[in-house]
Amino acid sequence: MTWQLFELLLQASLMTIFVSVTSILLGLAFAIGLSAMRMSGLGPLVWFARIFISFFRGVPLLVQLLLIFNLLPAIGISLSSLTTALIGLSLCTAAYQAENLRGGFEGVPRGLIESAEMAGLSPVQSFIWIRTPIALRLTFPALVNEAILILKSSSLVSVVGMIELTKMAQNLAASTYMPLPIFASAGLIYLAINWIVAIAGRRAEAALPGLPAK
Amino acid sequence: MSFDFAVILAKAPQILAGLGVTILIWVAGTLLAAILGFLVATARRYGGRLADLVLSVPVEVIRGTPFLVQIFLLYFGGPYIGLRLDPIAAGLLGLTIYGAAYYAEIFRAGFQSVPPGHSEAADCVGLTRMQTILHVQLPEMALLVLPPSMNMAVILLKETALLSLITVPEMTMTVQAIGSQQYAFVESIVVLALVYWALVELANFLGRLAERRLSTYSA
Amino acid sequence: MTQPAISVRNVSKRFGDTLVLKDINLEVPRGQVSCLIGPSGSGKSTLLRCMAFLEEASAGMIEIEGEALGFSEKDGKRRRQTAAELRRTRSKIGMVFQQFNLWPHMTALGNVSMALRRVRGLGRKEAEARAMAQLVKVGLEARAGHYPSQLSGGQQQRVAIARALALEPTIMLFDEPTSALDPELTGEVLNVMRALADEGMTMVVVTHEIGFAASVGNNVCFLDHGQLLFHDTPETVFAAPRHPRLEQFLDTYLDRGAQMLR
Repeated sequence: MTWQLFELLLQASLMTIFVSVTSILLGLAFAIGLSAMRMSGLGPLVWFARIFISFFRGVPLLVQLLLIFNLLPAIGISLSSLTTALIGLSLCTAAYQAENLRGGFEGVPRGLIESAEMAGLSPVQSFIWIRTPIALRLTFPALVNEAILILKSSSLVSVVGMIELTKMAQNLAASTYMPLPIFASAGLIYLAINWIVAIAGRRAEAALPGLPAK
Repeated sequence: MSFDFAVILAKAPQILAGLGVTILIWVAGTLLAAILGFLVATARRYGGRLADLVLSVPVEVIRGTPFLVQIFLLYFGGPYIGLRLDPIAAGLLGLTIYGAAYYAEIFRAGFQSVPPGHSEAADCVGLTRMQTILHVQLPEMALLVLPPSMNMAVILLKETALLSLITVPEMTMTVQAIGSQQYAFVESIVVLALVYWALVELANFLGRLAERRLSTYSA
Repeated sequence: MTQPAISVRNVSKRFGDTLVLKDINLEVPRGQVSCLIGPSGSGKSTLLRCMAFLEEASAGMIEIEGEALGFSEKDGKRRRQTAAELRRTRSKIGMVFQQFNLWPHMTALGNVSMALRRVRGLGRKEAEARAMAQLVKVGLEARAGHYPSQLSGGQQQRVAIARALALEPTIMLFDEPTSALDPELTGEVLNVMRALADEGMTMVVVTHEIGFAASVGNNVCFLDHGQLLFHDTPETVFAAPRHPRLEQFLDTYLDRGAQMLR
């Protein structure tokens, strides 16, 4: 195991970080949309959200990625492997994040919604400015947890042709016949990134304004 | 563009065989992982500070790295240290170790939830340490550890799909192979996704059922 | 006779099988402080919440300055108003809650300026300037940048009052504004309310502070088991001989105010 090989792994981990961060943020936006659908009380939207969440939580990410990778070109949509990876990861994490957010939205005290109502906010304004920020605040630890899960899951996007940390490790392992140190190094890099995310998450959690007592 | 699902469904016996391997590895892996995880949690709780510290390292490392990297390390790296496993054995071992790290954390939280007074009371009536754990603490924490345990079991079911990447002949690998033989990739993946979806929802349903059972007993 | 600020006509409220308000009739005069008192479960908070349409009356009508709130009446039938109609009538009302209900993710200034920006459409500068003026009024300009979790209960309730006042309501409703506070913090909130009453604000206050009701209130309404037993000036209500139910109620609420009246 040389420094040169390790440097290649580090470079590839930048792609892992990029794909993960983008997917988490896109997924969060989708998840808020799914939550809005689920709480809209409009039958078709509620059902769409339910089936979406059930499907993407019920099918292995690997299979989801293969599905998007094969299905979209078959119906005439050709996408780069980066786009495919981002779509796959963000739809999957959207379903999990929506499920996390459900508890958050349920945890928003009734009185805070009433005070928004009395201040003249419409239900949509109340959703955007009051309920969503509080739900996000309540479920922030779950969001950090999900970020770590997605970082690990991003190792799967190699199956749609993305070269990120795991794929680079695979390639190097095959060409150098040194799978042991190379995969171990890749694992250490994942571990280091996850530690940073976990510590940063705890710091951020402590810095956020406090919550109303129940 | 038209899809032809008949060619995939004609291979139903092969798909079922793949499904059998998936379920076998999943059930065996989950049970072994739960047992190993419980032993790790027990050792961390009662083995003294050193055991707690030493065991925390593999638990954190496994929880902090992707399952895919773990099985690649085991399957492709293993032979370099004399650990030559066939795909199924490597897959089962990988799944067990991976799951055990998470189950260890689930049971650790479980131990923390049992009031110390209860096990002290058991000590006083003359139960041995192991009897106390098995007959007092385990039943007491059961209701608490069941939901995350069922949840973890479902996660492990989905993780078995990754074993196709180390050529374990489970469902994902089998159906993909059928898809490429028949030039029906899309159809094969759609079928695959639907089967997993049904399986996961079934597992979720059974989990809820078990929870309801247990909560009526302990109420 | 001038139009009342709030008129409550034949209002009943039912939760499942229990009737919590029984055919209430009440006119709240403008520019006065009306206190709703009564034992827990008497329905006084429910009546106040009906006046804000946070609870929907099962029967009857409520008018705010002559405009129907929540339901419109036509040919003797009630029709639920649209959200826009409801918001227009409600904009005359400011509400202060027992639990303050400040939004935890915004500073005091953010809480007060929120609706000015999002509902009234003011720019940030203008909204914050107006919000600051309200915080000055409740004596909390120095706490403008604090989050609710960094404020005492009394301070939170004063911010909540400033938030309601920022929208320039003509009527303020207070739902047990001091019940969630430590006794030593109730004074600062009652002082702000007293100042507001001196300015001539129409106020309806659900309270257990009998002293406040007696000294600041222009009217005292006594509710018991969902019925409005009587309402009159505090002098009349608290003067002996008192209504036996009130006597009983005062016996169980021996706070400072009630002792003063003995």
